Amino acid sequence: MATKTLRVDYLTRVEGEGALDLEISDGRVTSAQLRIFEPPRFFEAFLRGRGYAETPDIVARICGICPIAYQMSAVHAIENAFGVTVDGPLRALRRLIYCGEWIESHALHVIMLHAPDFLGFPDAIQMAREHGNMVRNGLTLKKAGNELIRVLGGREVHPVNVKAGGFYRVPSRAELVPVTESLTHARELAIDLVRWVAAFTFPQFERDYEFVALRHPDEYPFNEGRLVSNRDIDIGITEYETQFEERQVAHSTALHSMIKRRGAYLVGPLARYALNFDCLPDSVQALARECGLGPVCRNPFKSIIVRALEIVYACEEALRLIAAYEPPALAAVPITPHAGTGFGCTEAPRGLCWHRYDFDAEGTIRAARIVPPTSQNQPSIEADLTALATTILDQPDEVIRDRCEQTIRNFDPCISCSAHFLKLSVHRT
Amino acid sequence: MTRVHERGARPGKVLVVGLGNPDRGDDGIGAAVAQALVGRLPPDAAVKVRRGDLLALIQDWEGFEAIVCIDAAAPMGVPGRICRVDLNSTALPRNLSFTSSHALGLPEAIELARSLQLAPRQIIVYAIEGASFDSGAPLTPAVAAAAQLAADQVVAEVGQLRCSTPEAAFDA
Repeated sequence: MATKTLRVDYLTRVEGEGALDLEISDGRVTSAQLRIFEPPRFFEAFLRGRGYAETPDIVARICGICPIAYQMSAVHAIENAFGVTVDGPLRALRRLIYCGEWIESHALHVIMLHAPDFLGFPDAIQMAREHGNMVRNGLTLKKAGNELIRVLGGREVHPVNVKAGGFYRVPSRAELVPVTESLTHARELAIDLVRWVAAFTFPQFERDYEFVALRHPDEYPFNEGRLVSNRDIDIGITEYETQFEERQVAHSTALHSMIKRRGAYLVGPLARYALNFDCLPDSVQALARECGLGPVCRNPFKSIIVRALEIVYACEEALRLIAAYEPPALAAVPITPHAGTGFGCTEAPRGLCWHRYDFDAEGTIRAARIVPPTSQNQPSIEADLTALATTILDQPDEVIRDRCEQTIRNFDPCISCSAHFLKLSVHRT
Repeated sequence: MTRVHERGARPGKVLVVGLGNPDRGDDGIGAAVAQALVGRLPPDAAVKVRRGDLLALIQDWEGFEAIVCIDAAAPMGVPGRICRVDLNSTALPRNLSFTSSHALGLPEAIELARSLQLAPRQIIVYAIEGASFDSGAPLTPAVAAAAQLAADQVVAEVGQLRCSTPEAAFDA
C-alpha cells in the first residue's frame, strides 16, 4: 500500500493559528484534517457572572477583524431576552456600522490575503510590485470601512460605543458627511475590484453545498431574518439548536458545527448571495451578471468575486442609510432586565454568528453559547479539501499544498474566533 | 488605533509612531515612549500610537518626509536594550522578531509601503527589547526604565530629521 502525507505546518494569510494534514493512500485522499491548535479562549466561561451591559465590550474582544458581528449578535440576544425592540434610526445605525465591518474585512481578505493565490504571488507585498494600484485601492477601501466603524463605534478596533438598546452616543448628520465622501469613492473602487477579481482564472470546481444564511423579506441580511437553507431549513433563530449541533473533534480546539440530520453546511458570502440574490439592488445584480455570475455560485474559488460584490453592496447600503439618517431622540432604548433566555444571530463577514444567553433576574449571565462562522464552516472546508485534492493527486506535492491553502482561504477562516486555527501535512501511503 | 494623543503636523514633516498593545506587558513600550514625548516635540511633528492594524499605519505615513517608529522587540537577553535602525542605510534585521501576532508586522508594513511607493524618505526604527508580554501585565522595570531614555533619543532624532529633510527651512 502506497501512503503519502502532505503537511502544511503553519497556514499563512489566515487569521489565527492552524495547520492541515492530508492523507493519501493508494491514490485516494483518505483524510483531510484542518488542525486548529490556537488555544481555547474560554469566552463563554468568561461571560458567566457578568452583567448584560458588559457583554458587548467583552465579546468584541473575540475578534479584531469582526468585533461588530459579535457585538451585534450579543445586543440582539440581550434585547430578545428582555423584550426590547430597537427600530428606526438606531436599527439603521446598526446596519451602517455592520457595512463598515464588511467593507474593511472583505477588502483585507480579497486583496491582501486571497488575490495573491490567483496571481501566483507568495504574498501581497510581492503582488504590490506588479499590482500597486489595486493594493493601494484595497488600503483605501479598508480605510473607508474603518472610518465608518470609528465614527459610529468610537474606534476602529474593538469599538466601544455599542450597547444593548442602541449606542452610548449617536452621530450628528454633519459627522457623517466626510464618511459619505469616502464611501462614494470606495464604491467606485469596489466596482473596479469586482471586475479585476472576476478576470482571474478559476479552477473548474463546484460542490453541492447546503447553504445556510439569514433571510429577511426586505433586505440583504445583516442583523435580522430567519435561518434558511437551500434545502428544507426555514426556522427562527431561537430554533437553531433544534437543527444544528456542535461536535468536538480530536484534531481541533474549535468545535465542528453540523446540521443534525445531514452534516456539513456552508455559511458566508456564497450562502448569503445564493439565498438573498433577489434582495441585492439592481446595480449589484447587474454587476454580478456582467462578471458571469448567476444568482447561485457553487464554485468556492469564486467566493472572492462575491466578497467584492458584497463590498459594493455595503458601500451602496451605507450611502443609502446615511442619506436617510435623522438622529434619534434617544441614543438607546431603555432596558429593564429580568430572568430569561435570549437569542441573537447576525451575518458576520464570514457567515452566521449565533449567540444564546441565559440571564438571572438582575441581568447577570448564567450561561452563554457563541457559535462563530468558522466553526460552522470547518466540516465544509475539510470536505472541499478532500474533493479538491482528489482532482490533483497526480500533481507535485508543492502544487497540492498551494492549492489546498488557497482552498482554505476561500473561506476566509478566522481561526482566532473559532478556537475558539493552520499547518498542511499530506500523508501518502 | 490612535490612542494616546494625535497632534496634527502638516504632511512633509516628521511623524513619530509608538507601536504595540499597552495591555500586553512590554508590548506597551511604544505607547509609553509616545506618552513621554508629550510636550517635548516641535509643533510640526506628529505623534501617534497604533496598537494593532499596521495596514492603517501605511496610510498614516502618507505625506510625511520622515517617520520614527518605536516598537517592542522579542526578548534576546537584555530587557530594555534600545536598538536604533536607520532603514536608509541598514535593512531591518529579521532577528529582531517584532512582536506582532498579526499577519503584517512592522518589517512587512515597511516593505509593502516601499512596494507601493508610500514609504517616507527616511524611516528610523527604535526597537526596545522586551521581557514579558503577558496579558494585562505592566511594563517590566528594565523596559519601563528605558522609556525616558528612548524618548530623549527620539527628541534628538526628530530635531536632526527636521534639519535634514529637504524642506528643513520650512519653519525650523
